[in-house]
Amino acid sequence: MNLRWYHFALWALFILVMALIPELVSKGTLRIIIFANFLAIFAISWDVLSGRTGYISFGHPFLIGIGAYTSAILTKRFDVPIEYAIPAAVLMTMVGGIIVFLPALRIKGSYFALVTLAFMELIYQLVQVVRPDLTGGTRGMSGIETLTRGAVNGYYLSASLMVVVALSMWLLMRTQLGTALSAIGMNEESVRGSGLSTTRLKLFAFLTSAFVAGLGGAFYVHYLGSIAPRALFDINFLFTIIVAALIGGASTIIGPVIGAFFLTFLLEYLRPYLPGAERYFIYGMIALVLYMYEPKGLIQLFSNAWNSLFSRRESAGNQNSDQAGKQSDAL
Amino acid sequence: MKTALEIENLVKRFGGLVATDNLSFHIEQGQSVGLIGPNGAGKTTVFAQIMGEHLQTSGTIRLYGKDIGSDSTPERIRKGVSRTYQVPRPFTDMTVLENIRVGQMPNSIWQMIKSKPQYEKEVELALSVGFSKTDLHKPPGELSMGDLRKLEMARTIATGSSVMLLDEVFAGLTVAEIAQIGALIQQMHKDGMTFLIVSHDLKALEPLVDSVIAINYGAKIAEGNFNDVMDNDNVRSSYLGAA
Amino acid sequence: MQIIIQGLLLSGLYALIAMGFTLIFSVGRVLNLAYGAYLMIGGYVYFTFSQTLGVPKLAGLLLAAMVGCIVGLLKYRLLVKPLKGNHVAVEISTLILAVVIQAAVVFIYGDSSKILLPIIPGVVQVAGASVTYNLLAATIGSWVILIGLFWFVRKTHMGRAMQAVSMDTKGAAISGVDPDKINMVTWGISGALGATAGVFFASYTQLSPSMWVAPLIIAVAVVIVGGIGSIIGALIVAHIIGFMEVTAVALIAPELRGVFTMLLIITVLIIRPQGLFGREELQ
Repeated sequence: MNLRWYHFALWALFILVMALIPELVSKGTLRIIIFANFLAIFAISWDVLSGRTGYISFGHPFLIGIGAYTSAILTKRFDVPIEYAIPAAVLMTMVGGIIVFLPALRIKGSYFALVTLAFMELIYQLVQVVRPDLTGGTRGMSGIETLTRGAVNGYYLSASLMVVVALSMWLLMRTQLGTALSAIGMNEESVRGSGLSTTRLKLFAFLTSAFVAGLGGAFYVHYLGSIAPRALFDINFLFTIIVAALIGGASTIIGPVIGAFFLTFLLEYLRPYLPGAERYFIYGMIALVLYMYEPKGLIQLFSNAWNSLFSRRESAGNQNSDQAGKQSDAL
Repeated sequence: MKTALEIENLVKRFGGLVATDNLSFHIEQGQSVGLIGPNGAGKTTVFAQIMGEHLQTSGTIRLYGKDIGSDSTPERIRKGVSRTYQVPRPFTDMTVLENIRVGQMPNSIWQMIKSKPQYEKEVELALSVGFSKTDLHKPPGELSMGDLRKLEMARTIATGSSVMLLDEVFAGLTVAEIAQIGALIQQMHKDGMTFLIVSHDLKALEPLVDSVIAINYGAKIAEGNFNDVMDNDNVRSSYLGAA
Repeated sequence: MQIIIQGLLLSGLYALIAMGFTLIFSVGRVLNLAYGAYLMIGGYVYFTFSQTLGVPKLAGLLLAAMVGCIVGLLKYRLLVKPLKGNHVAVEISTLILAVVIQAAVVFIYGDSSKILLPIIPGVVQVAGASVTYNLLAATIGSWVILIGLFWFVRKTHMGRAMQAVSMDTKGAAISGVDPDKINMVTWGISGALGATAGVFFASYTQLSPSMWVAPLIIAVAVVIVGGIGSIIGALIVAHIIGFMEVTAVALIAPELRGVFTMLLIITVLIIRPQGLFGREELQ
C-alpha cells in the first residue's frame, strides 16, 4: 500500500483540524461546513467512479436521490427506525448503481454520460408522478426524522462520516485496485489486454460509488429533514458535485474534499458582495477558468508549488508528489 | 513436445469479405513461428481472433489442447496467450513500473486489494527488456518508440503468458532497437517461450523463427522453414502483388 | 386526429432543435452540453429586440441566429479548440458554461419566466383540430430550415467536406480539407440553428433561465436514438419522440411526457448503441 510517515501525519492533522473546527468558528460557518462535508462525500463518490475509470457519470443525483428517498420514505411513511432505514437505503442505491452499470457494459465515452443524464431526468419525472402519496410528488417531503439537533452535533456527524469515507476510499484507491481502475480511464483495451476483467473492475467501481452516494444521500436527508425533487435531481447540483471533484483534482479522493470546501466557501464569501444571481455567474466562471487552466485540479497546483519550493531535483519537475514518493522508496 | 496453440479451419467473414479463409496451423510448445504475408493478408485479424477481440465465424482455437474459442480476452490471457499491438497502447499517466504492474496484477478484486505490488519483479522485468534504471519512473510520454515497444512486451510478459503473439514488433524502430528487441525475443525463446510473430521486416524476423507460415487473402499459401517459404512461388507472387 | 396534427407540429420543432446538436456531434464527435443554452440565448435575444425594442420579427429572428452563431464560434475558439481531443474535458467545460450562461440570463433578465408573444398570432382549424398559427409557423420554419440544411450538407462543397470530416477526420485532412475550418463552420451553423430553434421553442413554451435543459435532453435523445451522422435518422426519431410525447400527454398523463423519451434513450443505448440509423463506428 506504500504508506509513508507523512501520509499518517497529514491525515492526523486533517482529522485534528476537523475535530477542532467547532471550537474555532461561528455556528453559521459551521452550517456551511456541514454542507461542504456532504458535498465532499458526493464528490468522492463521483471520483471513485468517474475520476478513476473515465466513465463520466451525469447521473450521480440519481444515485444520491435513491438513497435519500428510500431512507426518507422508510422512516416517514413506514416508521422504520433510522438505523435500519439507512442501510436499506444504501442497499437500494447499490441496486440503482447496477442498473446504471448495465449500459456501461456496452457503451463508452460520451454515450455513457448521456445515458446517466437520462436516468437522472427519468427519476426526476417519475418521482413526481408515481405514488405521490409516498414520495410527496413535486413538493417533496418535510418533517423527516433528523439524526442530530443543532449545528455542532450536525457538524460532528457529517464530519466523521466524511472523514471515514475519505480515509477508507483513499486507502482502497492506494491499493493495486486503484491502479487498475485508473488504468481503465487511460486505456480500457490495454487493461483487458493485461488479462484483467474490466467488467468486474467497473462493476466494483460502480458499486463502491453507489455505496458512498447512498450513504451520503441517506445521512443528508436525515440532516436536512426535508427533500424536494427539483433541488435534488438538478443540473446545478450535478454541476456542483462534478466541479468539486474536478477542481480539487480528480482521481485523488483528497482533491474532491478540497474542491468541495473551496466551492462551498467561494459561494459563501461571494454572498456579501454579490447577493443575487451574478454570484453563480462569477462562481461558474472561476470554476471554468480554473478547470481550463489546470484540469488536474487544485491539488496539482499545490503539489507544483510544493515541488518548486522544496524539491530542487530536476527529475521531479513534472511528476506529482505521489510519484516522487515512490521514487524515494525505490532508491 | 506438446502443442501450444492450434488453429483449425478458422474462418472470419466481415459481411461479404473473407478475412480468414479456412486457416489451420499449430505451434508446438517452445517453438517460434513467423506469420507473414502482404499488406491486408489478414495477419492481424488472425491475432484478433486468437485473442478473442473478434469472434471467429467458424473454426476452433485451442490452447494446450483446450478450446478457448469462446472465452473472453482476459480469460484467454489468464490461460496463457497474450499479444502486443502494432501501435503500442501504454497507460499514459503511469510510470514504466506502474504500466508493468497492471500486467502483473491478479485478476481478482480481493487479491488486488490485499496483495502488495511485486516491486522487485517489476524492476527485474523492466530491466530484462532493456530499460535502464533511470527510465523506471518515466511516463510513456517521455519514451522513444523502441522503449514503448519494450514496455508493451514487458507488460505482456508480466501477465505470465507462455504463448506470445507479437504484431509488427519492429515497426518504427531504429536499427539498434531492432537488434535489442531481437536479442530479447531470442533469449525468451531459449527460455521456453512460444512465439507467433508478424513482421514486415523479414531480415529481422529470420533469426527469430523456427518456421514460417505465409498467408494471403486470409488463406495459408505456404508453410515450412524460412528459406523454403521465401522461395515458394506463391509467396513471391503474393508479395509482388501478382496473385 | 388531434394527436396526429399535434404530433406532426411538435416533431417538426423537435427536429429543428436536434439538428444543431447532431451536426456538432457528427462532425466534431463532441457533446456540446451547452447546446441548450443556444436556444435560451436565441429566445432571449429575440425577446429583447422584437418584444422590448420593437424590431421587426423577422429581423429579430435573424439577429437571434447571428448571436447564436457568434456564441458558437466563440465557444469553439475559446473552449473546444484549446481542449482538443479531450472529450471528457469538452463535455465538462460545456456543462459548466451552460450553468454560467444560465446565471448570466438570471443576472440580466431576472429569475422569473417570461412569455414570448406568438410570432404570428391567431388560431386556425385544421381537420377539426385547433392549431395556433404560431406553432404552425414554427413547424413550417423548421421544415424550411431542415430542407435547406439537407441540401447544404449533400450538395455544397462545404457540406461534403463536413461529411468527410465526420467520417474520418484524418482522412479528410489528408485530402486537403482543413478540419479546423470545418469545425469552425459547424459550430457557427450549430449556434445559429440552436438560437433559431430557441425562438420557436420559447414561443411554444416560455422563456426562463432553466429552459435549456429540456431541449438539451430532446436533442440528446434524437442523437442517441437516431445515431451519428444521419440527418434523416434524426428527422425520423424527432417524429417518434414528438408523437410519443403527444400520445402520452393525451392518453396517459401530462406529467409522463418525458418518461417515455428517457426510457427510449436508455433502451436504445443498451440494445443498439450505434443508434437506429447510425453507421457503425470504424475502428
